[in-house]
Amino acid sequence: MEAMQKLAAPDASPGSNYGSGLAIVTVAGAAPEQFPAGLRVLVVDDDVTCLKILEHMLRKCRYHVITCSEAMIALSLLRERKGCFDVVISDVHMPDMDGFKLLELVGLEMDLPVIMMSADGRTSAVMRGIKHGACDYLIKPVRMEELKNVWQHVVRKKWNESKDVENSGSFEDSDHQGRVADESEYASSMNEGTDASWKTQKKKRDSKDEEDDVELDNEDPSSSKKPRVVWSVELHQQFVNAVNQVGIDKAVPKRILELMNVPGLTRENVASHLQEHHLKFVPMQKFRLYLKRISGVTQHQVALPSLFCNQVEAKTKCGSLGSLDFHSLAASGQIPPQTLAALHAELLCHSSNNIVFPAVDQPVLLQASSQGSKFLPLEKEVAFGQPLFKCQSGMQKQLPPSEITVHGMSPGFSSWSSNQLGVTGSNNKHSGLSNIQNNSLLMQMLQHQQQQEHHQESFHSMVSDSNNAINVQPSCLVVSSQSPSSITVGCNSGPINQKSLVLSPQPSSNIQLRNNSLLASSNSTSNSSNSRLNNPPLGMAPAANGDFTDIGMLSTYYPPSSLSSSSVCTSSAAGWRPQNNMKISSINQRAGQLPKLCIQGSEQISGASVNQGQFRNLGFVGKGTCIPSRFAVDDLESPTNDKGFTKTSTFDDVDKVKQELNLDFLDGTKVGNTMLPNFPSTDFLGFLSKYA
Amino acid sequence: MASIPGPDACPPTVRLNYPTAKLSLFLLLSLSSGPHYLIKKDRERKHRKPASKTGLPVWMLGMGAGRWEEDMSHLLALLFRQGVLDEHFMQLQQLQDESSPNFVLEVISIYFRESEKLLRNIRTLLLDRECTDYRKIGVYLNHLMGSSSSIGANLVRNVCVAFRAASEHCNWAGCLRSLAVLEHEYCYLKNKLHELFQIEQQRVLAAGVRYHPLLQ
Repeated sequence: MEAMQKLAAPDASPGSNYGSGLAIVTVAGAAPEQFPAGLRVLVVDDDVTCLKILEHMLRKCRYHVITCSEAMIALSLLRERKGCFDVVISDVHMPDMDGFKLLELVGLEMDLPVIMMSADGRTSAVMRGIKHGACDYLIKPVRMEELKNVWQHVVRKKWNESKDVENSGSFEDSDHQGRVADESEYASSMNEGTDASWKTQKKKRDSKDEEDDVELDNEDPSSSKKPRVVWSVELHQQFVNAVNQVGIDKAVPKRILELMNVPGLTRENVASHLQEHHLKFVPMQKFRLYLKRISGVTQHQVALPSLFCNQVEAKTKCGSLGSLDFHSLAASGQIPPQTLAALHAELLCHSSNNIVFPAVDQPVLLQASSQGSKFLPLEKEVAFGQPLFKCQSGMQKQLPPSEITVHGMSPGFSSWSSNQLGVTGSNNKHSGLSNIQNNSLLMQMLQHQQQQEHHQESFHSMVSDSNNAINVQPSCLVVSSQSPSSITVGCNSGPINQKSLVLSPQPSSNIQLRNNSLLASSNSTSNSSNSRLNNPPLGMAPAANGDFTDIGMLSTYYPPSSLSSSSVCTSSAAGWRPQNNMKISSINQRAGQLPKLCIQGSEQISGASVNQGQFRNLGFVGKGTCIPSRFAVDDLESPTNDKGFTKTSTFDDVDKVKQELNLDFLDGTKVGNTMLPNFPSTDFLGFLSKYA
Repeated sequence: MASIPGPDACPPTVRLNYPTAKLSLFLLLSLSSGPHYLIKKDRERKHRKPASKTGLPVWMLGMGAGRWEEDMSHLLALLFRQGVLDEHFMQLQQLQDESSPNFVLEVISIYFRESEKLLRNIRTLLLDRECTDYRKIGVYLNHLMGSSSSIGANLVRNVCVAFRAASEHCNWAGCLRSLAVLEHEYCYLKNKLHELFQIEQQRVLAAGVRYHPLLQ
């Protein structure tokens, strides 16, 4: 069996000392200095993409990995070889068996630590995982840091088991416990990204606390609780309330602990949590105060979240740390101590129960630094410049792209908005907040314009990029019914022959029936700008000419009758042709000639079907891809030609001559539509034959 | 009388046989009409220049690597700015090394394959308004979300999240709309990733040529 072979084959990963003997090695038996390398992991997931990625990541962590895409096979593997695996990572949603069922079975039969994994990071789902007894719950996309810590679960489980077995003198156990606690706390403080696991651990602990009502402290050996305290949202909420009650400057762990009145929580837990959140805690409170003050509370709270949406699931990890995370502020050290002190003072005056963070509320999350080092510089700028809010409604989720686009649009703007963080950190509190407010207003404004501008920006960036010879083999086409209007915006700013974008709505037999359904949905919206990031329905270009009055503008250059039809993006499109960059087809056709349409690569416009054997190139537009229609025939390919150099990567030999013909013809000449029809390649020969 | 061309200067059509007449007519026409003449000439010129397999003239290849890298970083920056990709894509790139040289390509090919299957399935499920299985749509969406986020396809993932909300409310029209958006974004992503791969290919080629032992 394939899995067998995987097991037997020596592991090629560097740094692994176990070679082919991995089947026999146990955790305890592994060379201590090498641990956790060599940990044997079984990964079960029906998603092959994730499976492969996980496999590689785990190999990079120097674990031994075996992957499986079916739960039943995984179970049989585990049963066949007891003691051959140390930990199981399983997806929650699988077609043949529920992940939780697998979890239960594995826990019962083999007593291995099982880590659940899912794209669904909602609290309810995570809760389910914990209740079923998962050691951990990872949210896709899984990061390396989270995988690096997988060994903790193994160790913890082993030690808890041995503790249960011994169960003798408490001092021994407390040593164990202390050691484990130290180690886990050490490890947990090293964790950057295991917020989800924190939360789930804590939830597990909480639920156990509630059920057992056991007095938990570090010296209690006998229960099966986890020594590591994980701060769930509720717990953190209580913490926050307690701190507010006490007052920031009087926030001693002892008092907070008393106020929180959570059974089993120790002073140390509170102390470490306070230390961690202190910096973040204060400015957040202050920020919200100012927000409330400056504009109406509800108004602002509604406005801001609707403008700045967070990528909900992906960021819940950070968000779960509590509602107030001011990572970027704290970590970037932009808050000078004087500001903090000033904020303290203010906070004292205002400390009240108003500063509550109900789950419905949308706190500002500024995230960058937790992953800052991994970001591209550009990205960092973007992340910094975006106050991100936890998004509640689905509608709001559509905004992040626009948000990002806006930032991307003008570098000046994004740097300004990244400055706004600095401003908030500055001594001038008011200006900081008003900046944020301005930012939000600006965002609102820009949102409306962002479509066009984005279009233009990407347009320009494409033109300026000299990228040409790119073969794209997309599998579907997308056509936007509204794109032409926005394209004209961009088009008008430059010489027409340099920029493409013609789209014709001519219905033709090529258009599939299924497009009509999209048509119906696309016609229902009236968003007239380029929609790539704005979620208007995109469907095929409607056959109704009315929608293409915008194209009429371009039609002055290109007779609309000659425009060919466009096809629709379908995911099941087959028969792709590799297509090079954008080209402009000359539209001045004679009857019967359907040129191939070129498309701006980054726009969602697609090429069109063409009449066989006849097509023209006018040149191409900067960077981007030309998406051929599924009905394009081979000879319609064309090389990209940018006035001077030919950088053609691939084009069929069939076309070579034709292309060269066209290229040479156009080389150095201003594109004149009127000239082209005079010398159609095929007609030439036909013409000749007349005389023969 | 001097203006009358002599018999030799006459178009040879008069004298020669049929096929040659065609040829000569061709020549004549090509000589007389400008563009064709140009075309012919350029074609010859082009044929004389050596071109590599990619169609690029050889002299350009060695110097091209830098430009390709530039193009690549431009494209990546654009995609990051637009939120199409996020840092997980970079993480994916980092997973590629000597032991798995085509890792990214493989993974992304798998992703495309799977995603298209999923999108097809979702569309099939949405065909009938009355008996749409929203739960199943949710399952497919979950799958798509997971794989998209794993490779760093941020925008696709976000669209899936919105789609999921619509499916949970059993909103058929909303689902259709979301599906359209999803397909669109997916296509865009696919195109851009193809571009990236092409650039990478070119870059490798260009860099390879430069370092070819024979060329040095």
